[in-house]
Amino acid sequence: MTPTVELVNLRKAYDGHVAVDDLSLAIAPGTVFGLLGPNGAGKTTTIRMVMDILGPDRGEVRLFGRPRRPEDGRRIGYLPEERGLYRKMTVADQLHFLAALNGVERGRGRRLVADWLGKVDLAEWADKKVETLSKGMQQKVQLIATVLHDPELLILDEPFSGLDPINQGLFKELIVELRGRGRTIVFSTHIMEQAEKLCDEIGLVARGRLILTGNLAAIKRERGPRAVAVRFAGAPPPLAGVPGISAFELGDDAARLTLDDGATPAGLLAALVATGAAVAEYRSLEPDLESIFLEAVGDAS
Amino acid sequence: MRADQVAAILRREYLTRVKSKGFWIATLVLPLALAALVVLPSVFLARTKATHRMVVVDGLGGVGARLADELVAAERAAVGELAAGIERDREPEMSRFVVKVEAAELDADAQRAGLDARVLAGEIDSWIRVDRASLDASRVDYRAESVSNFLTQRRLEKALTRVFSEARLAAEGYDAARVVELTRAADLTTLKLTEEGATEEAGMAGFMVAYLLFFLLYTVVAIYGGLVMNGVLEEKSSRIVEVLLATTTAKELLVGKLVGIGAAGLTQLAVWALALGALTAPGVVGLLALGDGVIPQVAPAVLVHFLLHFLLGFFLFSSMYAAIGAATNSVQEAQPLTGVVMPFLIAPMLFMMPVINDPDSTLAVVLSLVPTFTPLLMMLRIAVKSPPLWQILLGYVLTTAFVVALMALCARIYRVGVLMYGKRPTFAELGRWIRRA
Repeated sequence: MTPTVELVNLRKAYDGHVAVDDLSLAIAPGTVFGLLGPNGAGKTTTIRMVMDILGPDRGEVRLFGRPRRPEDGRRIGYLPEERGLYRKMTVADQLHFLAALNGVERGRGRRLVADWLGKVDLAEWADKKVETLSKGMQQKVQLIATVLHDPELLILDEPFSGLDPINQGLFKELIVELRGRGRTIVFSTHIMEQAEKLCDEIGLVARGRLILTGNLAAIKRERGPRAVAVRFAGAPPPLAGVPGISAFELGDDAARLTLDDGATPAGLLAALVATGAAVAEYRSLEPDLESIFLEAVGDAS
Repeated sequence: MRADQVAAILRREYLTRVKSKGFWIATLVLPLALAALVVLPSVFLARTKATHRMVVVDGLGGVGARLADELVAAERAAVGELAAGIERDREPEMSRFVVKVEAAELDADAQRAGLDARVLAGEIDSWIRVDRASLDASRVDYRAESVSNFLTQRRLEKALTRVFSEARLAAEGYDAARVVELTRAADLTTLKLTEEGATEEAGMAGFMVAYLLFFLLYTVVAIYGGLVMNGVLEEKSSRIVEVLLATTTAKELLVGKLVGIGAAGLTQLAVWALALGALTAPGVVGLLALGDGVIPQVAPAVLVHFLLHFLLGFFLFSSMYAAIGAATNSVQEAQPLTGVVMPFLIAPMLFMMPVINDPDSTLAVVLSLVPTFTPLLMMLRIAVKSPPLWQILLGYVLTTAFVVALMALCARIYRVGVLMYGKRPTFAELGRWIRRA
């Protein structure tokens, strides 16, 4: 299948500092893709190159199966990291303008704006100037501006940062809904828990380089499980010397065991039972994205 | 460039300006002020209730009565001219004379004391005495409590001069009316020669038209250039520019913005033109009473050239302002840089006089073909004297090419600069932006 977004050997440097270095990735249609990494890793620079707001020093951005064209902008819903609206314009005028800019015919634009404002409870604010709205309401307007023209591809730069909990919920619902309708969604974040809940695929970026990419479930399978949680009926047996354990944390009746490199959870369970311990509960712990990320960064450097 | 993108941006820029209260205040203040300046005084004069009660002590027999007639006649003429829109003598603050002639008494001192007392009592406003001595010396004492009503005094002075001249001419045996008729002043009628033939024009009119157009162009470019700059800065500081650049190119954004704001400027000019037209319509008071009170005639071709040069000048200077807005972060930062634009705007002013005096000199031809000077200096030459067609066309071609190149350059600065926050770039950095974009 032709990737919706394809980046080929992208590189961007600012006055000696390399922000993005030889970055290549492909995102298939209908995927929710998380571009992950700490602040300053090069996520926003990458996204701005995809949006043709910055030109790459080297490499190519391909969208919808061919080199990027200016008119591709209308097929994309873009939420920049730095949010912005015309402060002195009314909510409705502003959205009508942005709809027109994205090629939505005027009558349809009016209907869409009215529908959306009703949907997020802003209908009675339509004729108010943006600067009179609360921050939360402005976020909703920005959200509408991003999805108003029903884009095939959404590119969201840190969509959850600065959002109040209600709008975060609204945004997550929207992402799930759009994904259900086959839209491709790319978003960046430095908060791993969010990505873990929403993403099909991820790309980890650190210091301008892509250090890990692929299907999130597959990555987790490949990388783990590296630990198990055990609860014992009665006192825990002595754990030192049990084969397959490289480290352990002990509680009153439970323990968290880190596996040796060659060990498997099943093998360890057998070894534990062989010591005569009464195992009441045994569960393998999947690595969270946070630890995968830290590990990957460690490997890369 | 995509037309629908430019149209959407243009529409927003235009409507945002035209819908704002400030635009209409600025647009309407000028015509209203002019209307007030022109209409109110004539209204006051026509219905003035202020009267100036004056006693003329007549020691010459008949001169007092003649003076009273003269004052009333002068007053009627002034009001008549106002109504006809050809007000020549602007003395709107003058009061209406109510003249009472009293015979000179033998005891001049006692009469003077009596009249002075009546002035001080507020019974009359002033009194004068005309007699043999004052006629000979051509000097009259004006005695009043208030002596600052210069316009009233001037009209009185004129009437006295006339009446005294008549009296002296009559004494020498001449017919006063005939003498006035024979010694009337000469007028100069100037004819402007063009390819289409001679057109009659008032002496100063050509110059005045050129100057008016020049002044309008300068004002509008200065005001609207600033608006363009602020518009760019606003988009940067509100961060909406990144949303815009996601669907539109820097060039579309720039062209849409310039055309939209330019259209708002033209709307303002159109309102002013309509207001001027209404104020100068026959029957309404003559506003453009320049020099001899002749309203200058502007040929339609000159108006077309004015419009074209206005647009060229606007795009020329406002794209410079747009680039400054894109390269800086705030009005405070941008202000010093506008100093780079100003010389281009002001330099042609310095050459105005030489160009008017000799519009076909080599200096004038060369200067008017320099792209940044063309909108103002070529326009000036067209208004004063029709330059050869090829020069006008060459001016258009050169300036248009320059504007296109400048806008492409500014779009580059814009594209790189709108995402640069933080410190103001040096000129070396600007150069790098232009190469890199």
